[in-house]
Amino acid sequence: MIMEPLVLENVEKSFKDGDKENHIVKNLSFSLKMGEVVAVIGPSGSGKSTFLSIAGALQSPDKGKVIVNGTNISSYTDIEKAKIRLNHLGYIFQTSNLVPYLKVEEQLSLVLKMANQWTKGSKRKVKEMLTAVGMEHRVKFYPHQLSGGEKQRVAIARAFINDPEIILADEPTASLDSNRSMAIIELISTIVKEQNKSAIIVTHDDQILPLCDRIFVMKDGQLVEDGREVLI
Amino acid sequence: MYFLPFKEMTFFKVRYLLISFILFFVAILVFVISGLANGLSMNNASSIINMPADTFYLQKSAEGRIDRSHLTTMDLEKLSAKDDAQPIGIQMGAISKVNSEDKLDITFMAVQPGSFLEPNVMAGKGLKGGGENSVLLDRSLKSGAIKVGTIVKDARSGIKLKVAGFMDDQTFSHTPVAVISLDTWDSLAGSREKSEYNGIVMNKDDSGLKKDVSSLVKNGEWVAKDQVIKGIPGYTAEQNSLYMMLSFLIVIAVFVLAAFFYIMTIQKAAQFGILKAIGAKSSLLVKLTIFQVILLTIVNIAAAVVFTKVFMTVIPDDIPFIFDTAQIAKFSGILFLVSIFGSLLSVFNIVKADPIQAMGRLE
Ligand SMILES: Nc1ncnc2c1ncn2[C@@H]1O[C@H](COP(=O)(O)OP(=O)(O)O)[C@@H](O)[C@H]1O
Ligand SMILES: [Mg+2]
Repeated sequence: MIMEPLVLENVEKSFKDGDKENHIVKNLSFSLKMGEVVAVIGPSGSGKSTFLSIAGALQSPDKGKVIVNGTNISSYTDIEKAKIRLNHLGYIFQTSNLVPYLKVEEQLSLVLKMANQWTKGSKRKVKEMLTAVGMEHRVKFYPHQLSGGEKQRVAIARAFINDPEIILADEPTASLDSNRSMAIIELISTIVKEQNKSAIIVTHDDQILPLCDRIFVMKDGQLVEDGREVLI
Repeated sequence: MYFLPFKEMTFFKVRYLLISFILFFVAILVFVISGLANGLSMNNASSIINMPADTFYLQKSAEGRIDRSHLTTMDLEKLSAKDDAQPIGIQMGAISKVNSEDKLDITFMAVQPGSFLEPNVMAGKGLKGGGENSVLLDRSLKSGAIKVGTIVKDARSGIKLKVAGFMDDQTFSHTPVAVISLDTWDSLAGSREKSEYNGIVMNKDDSGLKKDVSSLVKNGEWVAKDQVIKGIPGYTAEQNSLYMMLSFLIVIAVFVLAAFFYIMTIQKAAQFGILKAIGAKSSLLVKLTIFQVILLTIVNIAAAVVFTKVFMTVIPDDIPFIFDTAQIAKFSGILFLVSIFGSLLSVFNIVKADPIQAMGRLE
């Protein structure tokens, strides 16, 4: 078993802003251990989302390696990356990003169908997953009929449905009140511990930090460990 | 995966209904205008268009215009024995009922009774069966006052003609055709000596026969049927206008549909981004988009074809309309292809982008 499901080595990413190059991620290295929940904090615009989307194969780095389960995916084609996303990564966005025309249960079954994993037992699996996030009473609802917190819970269930080793969550609680936020993070944390997965949670929200195993701060394009000390 | 477009279309009902309407109406517009253009063309020149003719021998100085061509009858005696080369007389005129002054504009067309030039009748009898000075009229002249057996008179000479039968689709320069025998033609002119024919029609491409005709009748030239049709007074100008109209319509339809599907697909960028982010392959998105556009276009074009067929049967008879299957198929194909092209244009932009970009920056 691979003990470090996600490793980033010397990753660089810059964006053009007019004729100026904005170096957002500079020589960033990071590794995620099996079974842990990592928090990433830092000021707005520091590059947290950029880091996470590179880690999540949603965006390619300019330089450096992204190693998922021991294989370097930096040189992968789009098709291969899509496969990695489908089978090894669960991504939770700030706003839930559900498919607007699918019912709650279909959001989850779509992922299984795309991965060719739809079997007789899948229906039950979907039900169980939705029960785990407390959404079993909303299976036939469309996203527009749900509250922000409910949508986010569906998004979490969708991120977990495929048994990915790695969960990446970009400010999953930004649109929620503090009670809901804690509940959502506890939910992610519980599933990660129970099923021995690992997670990176980007957040603004200090109160959730006690629920995480390690804390990183995004600073000058790099990740520096133990944010609280650095912040103080 | 093909359930996705169906779910999407049923969820966004209004949006897709609107798209369907646009497609449907654009297709109808194209089909109906082309049907009317064809109808008008047929209404103008159906007597020549429907004639089982290959080439025409016309007077050289007539420049392909059959109404201006005159050949003397003198040497045609020998020719009229030949089945495949037939003299024809064409003359604009008017007829009226015997005891009425109300004139109807018609075009006399003189043919050898029983020859390949004599059109079939849809009611009544042919020229031979009708006897001396009988006339076959285009169906549009059939009315309460004019029936099989009615006596009409030539407005110029006053000669009486008996209506022997009616024919489908026999017009010349937008006037109904009255088919008469060559003998009647001669008597309308006054006498055989005064009478002139407009041309000689051949029903097949026979170079030997052509030579015979050319040597018998001087100062003529062979003109293809298409050229003769184009030479009918007003025909070319009218067709050019209609053709222009139709081309503009097609060009506009092409741009409207391509732009429409381009926009429709680009609006789905965020949706595609989500699907990509959760692991959908780009090829799947392209397939689904094409599938959806094919579905929309086929359903709506088919509906438009059915509508056009129904429209054809409900419009009044005096609006000429022709449903040309080959042409409709061609136009359908064009509409179909540009719709797919329009959506592919935007789908490729989305597919090329990283999922994050397709979703829009998530702040
Ligand atoms: N696709 C892009 N094009 C241009 N600039 C970008 C792009 N993505 C991110 N940036 C810039 O990179 C910086 C970091 O963005 P982001 O990673 O979203 O920060 P954070 O999530 O920490 O708030 C911002 O200044 C942003 O404007
Ligand atoms: Mg961010």
